[in-house]
Amino acid sequence: MSVLGIAIFMGFYYWFCRLRFGYTFSSALLQPVTIAVFVGLITGEMATSMKIGAGLQLVYMGVTSTPGGNVPSDPALAGCIAIPLGVAAGMNAETAIALAVPFGVLGVFVDQLRRSTNAIWVHMADRCAEKADTNGILRAAFLYPAIAGFIIRFPIVFIIDYFGVNAAQKLIEILPEWLSHSFEVMGGILPALGFAITLTVIGKKSLIPFFIIGFFAVLYLNLGTMAVAIFAVCFALLLNLFKLKEEEA
Amino acid sequence: MGETNNTNKKLTKKDITKSMWIYYAGAELSNSYERLQSLVFCASMTPILKKLYSTDEDLSKALKRHLVFFNTEGILGAIIQGIVISMEEQKANGEDVTDDAITGIKTGLMGPVAGMGDAIIWAAVMPIIFSIFLPFASDGMAIGGIAPLILYPLSTIIISYYLIHNGYKLGKKSIISLLNGGRMKSIIFTANIIGLTMMGALSASYVTLTTPLALTFSGGSTIALQEEVLDVIAPGLLPLAAIFIIYAYLRKKGPRYTRILLTIVAVSVITAVLGIF
Repeated sequence: MSVLGIAIFMGFYYWFCRLRFGYTFSSALLQPVTIAVFVGLITGEMATSMKIGAGLQLVYMGVTSTPGGNVPSDPALAGCIAIPLGVAAGMNAETAIALAVPFGVLGVFVDQLRRSTNAIWVHMADRCAEKADTNGILRAAFLYPAIAGFIIRFPIVFIIDYFGVNAAQKLIEILPEWLSHSFEVMGGILPALGFAITLTVIGKKSLIPFFIIGFFAVLYLNLGTMAVAIFAVCFALLLNLFKLKEEEA
Repeated sequence: MGETNNTNKKLTKKDITKSMWIYYAGAELSNSYERLQSLVFCASMTPILKKLYSTDEDLSKALKRHLVFFNTEGILGAIIQGIVISMEEQKANGEDVTDDAITGIKTGLMGPVAGMGDAIIWAAVMPIIFSIFLPFASDGMAIGGIAPLILYPLSTIIISYYLIHNGYKLGKKSIISLLNGGRMKSIIFTANIIGLTMMGALSASYVTLTTPLALTFSGGSTIALQEEVLDVIAPGLLPLAAIFIIYAYLRKKGPRYTRILLTIVAVSVITAVLGIF
């Protein structure tokens, strides 16, 4: 697809995934690894796209799981910009992550704008309820927020993805050694933030040894994630059994 | 005519499932700072209320009742829907269910249900599903994104479906036994253990930090800090330290994600230029 086509597609994609149509469906759509599948399809560079998406996913892994839906950083805006630009410029995952971070922060403000304008539709629904107009309520809950969301979100991604390609390619050409090494270090540390956030969300200090077990199961025993998942399930079920016995005693 | 009408109004399974889909579709869509999920909750009740209340006056009263402040976790929240639907049905059939009782059940349950939903759906189910398939994505394979896109919505919709129908069948008694019972606690406990172990495994593969520093002794011999000191003690010490330093900061200062993000950027550039990492 041409640069124009990709920019239009990504603009629509960002609008649709951030529309949050379908509670968990949309939150799966707005994850970087999922965005990467679509970028891979339209650019024909699936492998590069998925590698960048996986790198971004790690940074934002914990972010989505924050309680209350208050997005502290927007993986969707980061992904919809950094993945296509990264693929176009042939960036490695680390450089694309460095590019993504500022857009992830920008996305927070975009979401605040959306939640503020959404207050208009609640008042509209109040008036519909007065008239027992159920279709009006459905329109206020779905149609109007969707239109407003398009006006807010489509242009941002479209403009940056369309005009940013040359800039991204130039950036890669002139990138000095010290800066690209900085990006590598950054790409290595940033996932730590995602994991640290998940640790705080799960919350129980007493369960941290399980994190350590998972960590060293990979480093000492060279287990894959699937293997760790199987053992973790068994661990958890057995511990439940012991706990239950204790409570009965 | 009106609420005292004694003709028996019965909802079908289809009506309830329809209500679940509306709430699932729009739980976050119309979310506003003012009343959060009140609008979508009301919208999800429209197929129910239209069937239960025949006069415009009753319907309008019922709709307004569900436009009050509401917010919870959208998957486990289905159980609240189920209970509220059963209460509305009783009310429409002339039983003594007050407006306050319905609103009270909603506001009373939304907090605890949100807490459980965040712990199970968002802190466990989601990261577990995504992390199992992440290695495929890192290898450049599309399945790393396609599989979670299918599995995460599918598994959570099944949970919603189960909860809304059971909430409806069992009524408000169900949630009280559910909240007090040990079953919920043990589900959260199990999910947390699996989630944490998976997170640990992923950290080991994806947080990377090594130092090129070497200690030079007066005799001229050098010791590489990474290979000959740190790795000898235990592999992965620097990544583990990075995670727990950030974790300690988050626990102490709260969720200042943007500040931490910017600090990581600054620290990375400085240490890279100085040759520490």
